Amino acid sequence: MYRYVLGCALAAGVAASGIAASGPANAQDSVKIGLVEPLTGSVAYNGKSVVEGAKLAVEQINAKGGVLGKPVELVIEDGQCAPANSVNAVEKLVQKDKVAVLVGAFCSSATAAIMPVAAKYKIPLVTGVSSSAALTEQNNPWFFRAAETDALMAKAFAKILANDLKLKSVAYVGVNDDWGRGGVEEFSRDLSALGVKTALTEYFDHGSTDFFTLLTKLRAAKPDGIFVAAETQDGSILVKQLQEMGVQSKVFGVGSWATADFINLTGDAAEGIYAAVPYVSSVDTPRNQDFVKAYEAKYKVKPGKYGAAGYNALNITAQAIAQAGSTDAEAIRTALGKTDYKAPNGEYRFTAKGQAYGFDAVLVRIEGGTPKVVASSPVEAPQ
Amino acid sequence: MDLFLQFLTNGLVVGVFYALSALGLTLIFGLMRVVNFAHGEFYMLGGVVGWFVTTYLGLDFFSGLVLVALAIGSFGWLVDRFLIERVRGQGEEPGILLTIGLSIFLVNITLLAIGPAPLKVARAITEGPIFLGPVTITKMRLLAMVIGIALIVGAHAIIHRTRLGSAMRATFQDPMAASLAGIRTKQVYAATFALGCTLSALSGMLLASIYSAQASVGGLVSLKSFVVVILGGMGSFPGAIAGGLLLGVAEALWGGYVATGMVDIIGFLLVILILVLRPQGLFSIRAERA
Repeated sequence: MYRYVLGCALAAGVAASGIAASGPANAQDSVKIGLVEPLTGSVAYNGKSVVEGAKLAVEQINAKGGVLGKPVELVIEDGQCAPANSVNAVEKLVQKDKVAVLVGAFCSSATAAIMPVAAKYKIPLVTGVSSSAALTEQNNPWFFRAAETDALMAKAFAKILANDLKLKSVAYVGVNDDWGRGGVEEFSRDLSALGVKTALTEYFDHGSTDFFTLLTKLRAAKPDGIFVAAETQDGSILVKQLQEMGVQSKVFGVGSWATADFINLTGDAAEGIYAAVPYVSSVDTPRNQDFVKAYEAKYKVKPGKYGAAGYNALNITAQAIAQAGSTDAEAIRTALGKTDYKAPNGEYRFTAKGQAYGFDAVLVRIEGGTPKVVASSPVEAPQ
Repeated sequence: MDLFLQFLTNGLVVGVFYALSALGLTLIFGLMRVVNFAHGEFYMLGGVVGWFVTTYLGLDFFSGLVLVALAIGSFGWLVDRFLIERVRGQGEEPGILLTIGLSIFLVNITLLAIGPAPLKVARAITEGPIFLGPVTITKMRLLAMVIGIALIVGAHAIIHRTRLGSAMRATFQDPMAASLAGIRTKQVYAATFALGCTLSALSGMLLASIYSAQASVGGLVSLKSFVVVILGGMGSFPGAIAGGLLLGVAEALWGGYVATGMVDIIGFLLVILILVLRPQGLFSIRAERA
């Protein structure tokens, strides 16, 4: 009788421990990654590309069995590129969805707002887009930037622009926000250091449609080259109007310039312009060709800068979770710091401050409606 | 001097565009007194539907323009009969809330249907610069100015030379007396709203062929249009033209000689000045209202 009771108790105990062990596994049969991007508002168009890239990465990861033996689940929230909305989105992702890692939030101002929230909940945050240099200077140990900064891009390309394009004077035009002003400042500093004169510096507001006044001034300044920091919408209209005004200078820009949409919108005015981009689909490496093929099969368009950014950010995150061997935040953070990710565009590593380096940035020239790679330069770790 | 002439030309072109895009609002806000915050969205719909009919239905620009006018005109009619009519005569606030709601609805439906990408509307003629001495302008801009001026004159003629126009003016002066005189005021309201929407949509498609169409352009268009209407005087077509030109030239000169980065300041500075010095606007038809 005694033995029988003991046996029962043992059996029950085993069963109970079995339930205890499988309980959390059932509750968490997927590894959740939270993604905050602008899905409405003025940069929704670019935010959507990030989401597309991220979804493709998750699909590929899950096709190979996921991470930690579980499928990856992407929980997407709309941050609208606004600090307040992005913070709300992160609160929801952490509190309700209990995500293991956060990816986001596109605009630098929004990312700056969610960084302290990520630190508060001790959840690693990876951005694939936000390029304001200040973000990685905040010594937030939970933050990683898998993207270039304006300063790094300027450094990578100033020499090529000054020497290969033989520019003597450059006019700088940028969108009137942190990013546009930052880009103009960084490039003008590095180009000036190489002896290139500044012919003109002008800014325009988001959503401007008519650049004739700006271009009149620009034409009168007669620069050899024109540097433009603008996204697809503003940039395509600006380049079209450059042609309409009969401006002959060489144009080179930063932003999402080498994309199919940009070229389609700009038409033949896009011919011959240069773009300094962290990613372009025509890079001829096997890893990139595979990525482009998969992206094109899924979305019927070639990936641009933001599609690649979403793809890379998700892969880096998933790889770190796999490396960590658990969804423990501290372990993931350590693994992120040791990232060595082979992306379609080179290899990503992080500095102690969480800034990525090692990946290639490319200078392309648009010829016959496709971006041709003129030069590529690995982004070096900042000093 | 050459620079000044180019700035002035740019300002005049953009000024006509501003007047054109504010036309619909002049009717709906200026004459009907519906504070239409969805104005920019009707403009946006014009561009987006224009993109659809030229890209997917393969129409040329001008047939597309006619189809857009018919489509958005009918839509505007329905909006008035089924939505605006419910809040008519209840003061301005319900109308404001209704049109804000309508604008959010229209933007998000468009985002849902076609997404946030900028769209390219086929151009009416091949584009190329024209050099008039030191001044550069493009063919498409000239054409858009001509069409714009024709639309402004046409709308003015409808209001002031036709029976429908007389009925409209009578209705907005005194709806009770107008309906006692046998005017079917419901139809007149709907017709005016439809006409306003049509004008917004036409300017939207015309300007989208020069710039580009996008779901999110509406907000800025609404803002500038309110500036133009307030500058020029409520409900006045000459006022809309004057307000548009004033805004366009002021922005061009400010951008040209000061800084392009702060060009949006100037419009609101002008509005504040006008409201302080001449609150009825440059061309007022205030006397027509009881």
